[in-house]
Parts: sequence; C-alpha cells; structure tokens
Amino acid sequence: MEVTREKHGDSVLLVIAGQIDMYSSPELRAELTAALESGSKRLVLDMEKVEFIDSSGLATLIEVLQKLRGSEGKLRLSNLSSGVLAVFELSNLDQLFDIRATREEALQDDPA
Amino acid sequence: MADEVRGIRVSIPSHPRFLAPVRDLAAWSAEQAGFGCEDTEAITLAVTEGCTNVIRHCYGGKHNERIDVDISFSTRALTIRIDDYGTFVDPASIHSRDLDEVRPGGLGVHLMQQVMDQVRYERNAWGGTSLTLMKHIQGDDHVLRSGELDG
Repeated sequence: MEVTREKHGDSVLLVIAGQIDMYSSPELRAELTAALESGSKRLVLDMEKVEFIDSSGLATLIEVLQKLRGSEGKLRLSNLSSGVLAVFELSNLDQLFDIRATREEALQDDPA
Repeated sequence: MADEVRGIRVSIPSHPRFLAPVRDLAAWSAEQAGFGCEDTEAITLAVTEGCTNVIRHCYGGKHNERIDVDISFSTRALTIRIDDYGTFVDPASIHSRDLDEVRPGGLGVHLMQQVMDQVRYERNAWGGTSLTLMKHIQGDDHVLRSGELDG
C-alpha cells in the first residue's frame, strides 16, 4: 500500500493505492494520524487505486472518523471502486461515512 | 460427466504479510472454478477475514504459528477450509456485532456471512479451530463453463 499526502486549502488529501488489510492497516493508521497531527481537521481520502479493503481497513477508518468527530473535524472518502464500495455497503458503513463520487467533489466546501 | 474437484493447499505463517498471497490463491481458484469478478472479490474478502481472525483470536496476534488453507473447487462450488493449531475459538465469542454500533472491529464474521453461502466453525483434530467457507457458483458464468445446469 502507498499513501501520498497533499495539502488542499483547509483540507489534507491522502491518495491511497494498493490493498488495505491487517498487514497494511497499521501503516494507514500512521499516515492518517500524521495528517491529523498536522493540524488539519478535514481529511479527504482518494481511494481510486485501492484494490481491496477488509474489516481491518474499515476499523482503521472508523477510528479516524471517531477522532475527527470528537474534534469537530470531517473525513470524506472519494473515488471508491465498486468492489471497495460493496464492502462498505455490506457493513452499512456507506451510511456512516461521507462518500463522494470524485476527489473534486470531496474537496469542495460544504455550502454555508 | 463427473464434476471434478480440484484444489490447492498451503500452509502459511500467522503473519499478516501472507494474507495477500492467500488472496491471490483464492482468486485464482475462484477464476478456475468459473466465478465472476464480484464473486471472486467476495471470496478473497472471506478468506482474508478468516485468516485474520485466526491470527487475531486463535493465535492472539502471534506471527510465527501455522495456518493451513485448503481450497477446493468444482464447477458447482468453492470451499475453503482454514485450520489453526491454536486455541479453539467458540464461534459465539466472535459473532458479528450489531451494525448500528459504531466502533472499530467485529465486522469480519459479518462480512464472511454476507458473502459466502456457508460459514462453519468447528474444533479440529489438533484442538484448534477449523473454519469452512463455501460458496456455490450461480448465474450464467457457471452454465457457460460447465455446460450443465444444477439439478
């Protein structure tokens, strides 16, 4: 798995590529924690190149979502492949996470 | 024509770095059996969750124990048996959580149950846990490949 991090205004964009499982989840957790510690409370994940995610990956994302909610931050996911989206849907997590079709949409501000 | 059963068996260390190769084997087997793309993804998810549960629950996170993965398939179904040599895990203790409960963890069993036709836990001959995951082949892929319909 590879993660690249870019600053976009008030948001931090993390572009994730590869497979997210019990092996790679600690690395993902570290990258997300580093992004949170950089001071941004808006994280956008571009998951277009995520080929696989399991319950370990979902648990990592839930952890980050809970941390951000505790500090009134936001987490948006974007560009999920149909296979990855299916795992969220099977867990009802598509109802919990803010999932956008494109990276651009995810980076947009909410209307005031 | 007899429905030939083929398969592959591997033993891996209980280290999460071996989850990806097991997924590759499961995907190859699913494709050989004639499963479509969605079902193949479902099978790779299930085998990952099964092995992850072994590492986490049966071996308590230890990375140098043994996991046996036996994948057998025909034109009708694919079966994965995952055996460990650790602690037998009572299935009731790793049942899936309420999906309305928002917390990390507890989704692995739920996902396996969602994507496979059978998920069965048993105590194996070595005192560890044996997990059997089975999925039937359905749809046009099966008919085209096997040339016959399920009776």
